[in-house]
Amino acid sequence: MLSSMESTPRRPTAAEAAAALRDAEASRAGLAHAVATPSGFFTSMSVAIAVQIAATAAAFGVGAPWLVVAGVAVFGVVAGVQLARFRRRNGVWLGGFAGRVVLGTGTAASLSYALALAAAIWAAYGDRSALVALSSVAGGAAYALAGRRWMRAYRDEPDVHGRGESVAWLALLAVVAVAGLVLLLLDA
Amino acid sequence: MAELDDHVVAPARLKLMTVLTAVSEAEFATVRAALAVSDSVLSKHITALEEVDYVRRRKGLHRGRRTTWVSLTPRGRKALSEHVAALRALIDGVD
Repeated sequence: MLSSMESTPRRPTAAEAAAALRDAEASRAGLAHAVATPSGFFTSMSVAIAVQIAATAAAFGVGAPWLVVAGVAVFGVVAGVQLARFRRRNGVWLGGFAGRVVLGTGTAASLSYALALAAAIWAAYGDRSALVALSSVAGGAAYALAGRRWMRAYRDEPDVHGRGESVAWLALLAVVAVAGLVLLLLDA
Repeated sequence: MAELDDHVVAPARLKLMTVLTAVSEAEFATVRAALAVSDSVLSKHITALEEVDYVRRRKGLHRGRRTTWVSLTPRGRKALSEHVAALRALIDGVD
């Protein structure tokens, strides 16, 4: 049942206002702290990014554009499965999580990814397979670390970090990134 | 100065909208657990806030079951922000 106060709003006293705010913020903090990644989440994202970087570098090295598509497909499948698991586990959808942690739109994730990809492509042109592997693994690990950092920031300030970018914006970014890679390959 | 919003004055509604600021969208049962209220109470508050376009709900699936997903609208976010500012002013006015 709704209380009479709820059906007939009246101006709260300062003490009631403070209590209501505290209670609301505590509930929000409780929800944010209960949000967790599914088991193996960061490991699988790290591996997917490493595979995607290695496949893209190999595509440049051996001139096989289909490897770019294969790498993106591996990442896409892993990302999709992990997002579905996250949503099922927590009963929430976080745009910030999808953008910053899974698609790596945060500064740390995108910078480390770009550096690792550039290093891997450079190594692939020089036929340095071990360096391609090392750059790919480092890129995947940095991506996962950036994701863990975002989770901590989210728990501290869920209202600031939770929503993130819109799905349309993320889709546009993904299309631009793939188109850029394909154009680079066609030019190479 | 921001005014208290009659649609958000009820503590349960303030709590519901504040919880929704932490997510893009939440499943009904998740919100119910966070607020520690019954299905019917939550449903009534959602309906009331939906009527003033502060929250939105849609049917979806969760763990293979048909369920309801709830989110805050931009209008609701703005209303909450102004209401919280008014509450803080009220608290500060006494302190």
